Amino acid sequence: MEDLFHRLSHPFPTVVIDRVTEVEGGKRAKAVKRITANESYLAGHFPGEPIVPGVLTLEGIIQSALVLVEESHSRGKLICSLEKVDRVRFKRAIVPGDLVEFLVDLTNREGDLWVFKGRARVGEETAAEANLVLKVVVRDVGFEL
Amino acid sequence: MMENREIQSILPHRYPFLLVDRLLEIEPGKKGLGIKNLTASEWFFPGHHSYPPALLLESLAQVGGIVLGSKARSEDPQSQFTGLFAGVSDFHFTRCPIVGEQVTLKVEATQSLASLYRFSAEVFVEQEKIAGGQILLSFVRRASGSPGSEPAGSR
Repeated sequence: MEDLFHRLSHPFPTVVIDRVTEVEGGKRAKAVKRITANESYLAGHFPGEPIVPGVLTLEGIIQSALVLVEESHSRGKLICSLEKVDRVRFKRAIVPGDLVEFLVDLTNREGDLWVFKGRARVGEETAAEANLVLKVVVRDVGFEL
Repeated sequence: MMENREIQSILPHRYPFLLVDRLLEIEPGKKGLGIKNLTASEWFFPGHHSYPPALLLESLAQVGGIVLGSKARSEDPQSQFTGLFAGVSDFHFTRCPIVGEQVTLKVEATQSLASLYRFSAEVFVEQEKIAGGQILLSFVRRASGSPGSEPAGSR
């Protein structure tokens, strides 16, 4: 995953998702993360009351979208940047012991802009939703013969 | 002006998730102008130089949490409250701030419906606007003196 981030130029220090459980290039991806009390950010969010910050759940959706971009382009260096987020809703607290599943669908592509609909759920409950727009620029490396 | 010490009396956020340093201006319940300095020793910088967009949203939400929390405290110094990050709408990023920059976080309450507060939010580095949109916070006051200190600010 670190290699993946490097390839996609994604500025986040940690991999939020544990495993990609399903990915279909150009269409959808699913990934999971287990939440444990031992994660560093929970020390400050909040002392004595660990709750996963909503923005880290959003980051999980973003990283799942990046996996989908990666799977759709097998070659070259990809420069990805987050252009827009919309309709983001945090609906349920996520706490240690939970298993979070991230589901991302590519809904539209216009030039460099990829539009995704994402969701995070715990069991059958929706914990968060978000629409994302990523700008994806492909830089081919080397020559084709 | 509000220094970090006072921010910590309103927000329950602590290291490594306290993402605002100081408020230059604050109008309780209405608006706030906060700053976040970015320096190389912070936990999110190894391997790259950009402040991640997800954390930028959190910084804005924390300024919003201070705006709402400071109003509750001005009306009742003992007041207890719970603030949650409820959502983001139509938020655009032009670029990420980078190491060595100071991020200016500007939020202004535009609408409230029951416990839900909508803010317009803008991010600047010096005079350059680099991101902006709307954020939603849920904020609930509880009877003062009730046990436990619940999280204020944003989730």
